Amino acid sequence: MNDIIIAVLRSGTPLVYVTLAGVIAQRAGIWNLGLEGLMIIGACATILGIVVTGSITLALLIAIFFAVLASILLWFVVEKLKANPIIAGLGLTGLGLGGTALAIQSFFGSQSAVNAPFGLPRLGPAFGVYGVLSILVVLMPVVVFALWFLLCRTRFGLQLSACGEHPFAARSVGLNPSMMRLIALSIGGVPAALGGAELAAGSLQFFGQNMTAGRGFMAFAAVIFGAAHPIGATLAAMFFSVLSAIGIRAQLVFGDRVPHDLIQALPYLATVFGLWLSSRLRGGTNGAVTEIRDN
Amino acid sequence: MIARVTHILRSLIFVIFALILCSLVFQIAGYSASTVLTNVADGAFLRPGALAQSLRWALPLFITAVGVGVSFRAGYFNIGAQGQFYVGSICAAFVAEWLSGAPAFVVIPACLFAGMAGGAFWALWPGYLRIRSGTDEVITTLMGNFMAGLLLVYVTSGPLKDPSGSGQQASSRPLEAAYRISTSSGLSVTIVAIAVAVGLAMWLLVNRTTFGMLASLAGRNPVMVRWQGALLWKLGITSFLLSGALAGLAGTIEFLGPNGRIASGFLPAHGFTAILIALVANFSVAGTAITALFFGGLASAALYLPVMAGLPSAAIDVINASIALFITARSKLLDKVLRIGGHSS
Repeated sequence: MNDIIIAVLRSGTPLVYVTLAGVIAQRAGIWNLGLEGLMIIGACATILGIVVTGSITLALLIAIFFAVLASILLWFVVEKLKANPIIAGLGLTGLGLGGTALAIQSFFGSQSAVNAPFGLPRLGPAFGVYGVLSILVVLMPVVVFALWFLLCRTRFGLQLSACGEHPFAARSVGLNPSMMRLIALSIGGVPAALGGAELAAGSLQFFGQNMTAGRGFMAFAAVIFGAAHPIGATLAAMFFSVLSAIGIRAQLVFGDRVPHDLIQALPYLATVFGLWLSSRLRGGTNGAVTEIRDN
Repeated sequence: MIARVTHILRSLIFVIFALILCSLVFQIAGYSASTVLTNVADGAFLRPGALAQSLRWALPLFITAVGVGVSFRAGYFNIGAQGQFYVGSICAAFVAEWLSGAPAFVVIPACLFAGMAGGAFWALWPGYLRIRSGTDEVITTLMGNFMAGLLLVYVTSGPLKDPSGSGQQASSRPLEAAYRISTSSGLSVTIVAIAVAVGLAMWLLVNRTTFGMLASLAGRNPVMVRWQGALLWKLGITSFLLSGALAGLAGTIEFLGPNGRIASGFLPAHGFTAILIALVANFSVAGTAITALFFGGLASAALYLPVMAGLPSAAIDVINASIALFITARSKLLDKVLRIGGHSS
């Protein structure tokens, strides 16, 4: 049982962090399909940072810097140049995947993988079998709570939701939706980078080309499935991790008799189902898309 | 006409923006941007034989992109071309397996039909959910891409597995030579004929039929189209089916032609590139043909770079991604400058 919990926490934590980044953006009215790109930038910058500086703190700061920079690029293109957020987000993802692949090849001359001498600090033997978990796993509930408080219990959070749901109304009370989105996307860069860092340095300590393998998009699915609520989306992300742990488990126990690839498709199917259900309940209106295309 | 010229100008300006951004990325990653870009141009168009290679990649991309354009025109943001491409190729591979032994003139049309049907089906359910319940098609088609990708992994490592395949990438059994519509060079009379036929048919459909007229009106102003008495849901479903069928057709061509088999995760950037082509061409069929040739060139340069110039093929992904970031941009300043041409939006 313990090993299943550890496996779920290890695969779920990066997903939760990236999901939180998606939640902030979603609340501000930007569908962030660049999550995959932000995550891989975070992962790559962490490992390169460890190798170059030899300090985990500096490496995390470098990762956060690049992820925030990429988020600001997305904001500039979407808000200032009025680009379509979906295409621009997919572009950011491509830029992250391609750019990191280029970076590791130019620094290390091999396209496969870069190993780091050490990773994130672990809990240590005092915690028994759970000692292998990294500190970001323990920090995760704190971050989720902090974000929930920020988004759902402060004036800023409500203003942000207003900008996302009805920018026109938000502007009429003197808010600047564009600026609020800049703040939201910049804040979102931090958990996205941490998610990438946990993926690359939490239990593995290496970076490989395309190592996020669609996790950013699964995080986006969790944002939608969790109705852009910090707690709901976190639960959705953990639920997806449990599903994938079941898939891996089924493969180990039953071998090829169970189509484990199809079990991995369940999160996506669940998202489609959840979205369909919510659109049925809303009575077939399609608010989100038209509201983003404000002015 | 003037509006069209301003659109091309606008696209060109943002493509230049994109080139500046990807040069920056190349520099940050530690490459000389000018070396990379000259090598890309060399690999795509300038070296001898490059144009034939570009055409090989451009033809399937053109077919998918025309389909993407049809659904975008109608106002449906079908970004599921990749999934429809995969499901089309999977269906074709199953049909080829079942009909194995039958004469080629039966198998090839059956495969093409099955591929189109499979692609159309993979676009039908998001279309149905969108039109019936208002479920956002962006998310359903995106999720459909991942489901189709996993389905492809399942199929190539399960029912259609090639037992003699090497462990790295699961793939189906190679297609018998008699059923192939081209060699692995990917250029043949059949493929060119299919692409030309698709291009002509779609041009006629978009520009010369009531459906094309109403569908593009519906994309801009659905309420007006409803008042005209047209059935919006019919226009919508037809657009979804057409775009899915064309993506499935492209998948089938890749299967019957250059690849000769389906492999897990093959051509992962096809759908995304096709969406870019449709956007750059502003959904016009003729424009799509030209743009497809450009992106086909980039795709062939991706194979050329690592072998001939020792540069990683990810450079091409960076170029495509930078174009994606800027291609839908509508800068107000630029509008002001370009409005001299009389185009206002």
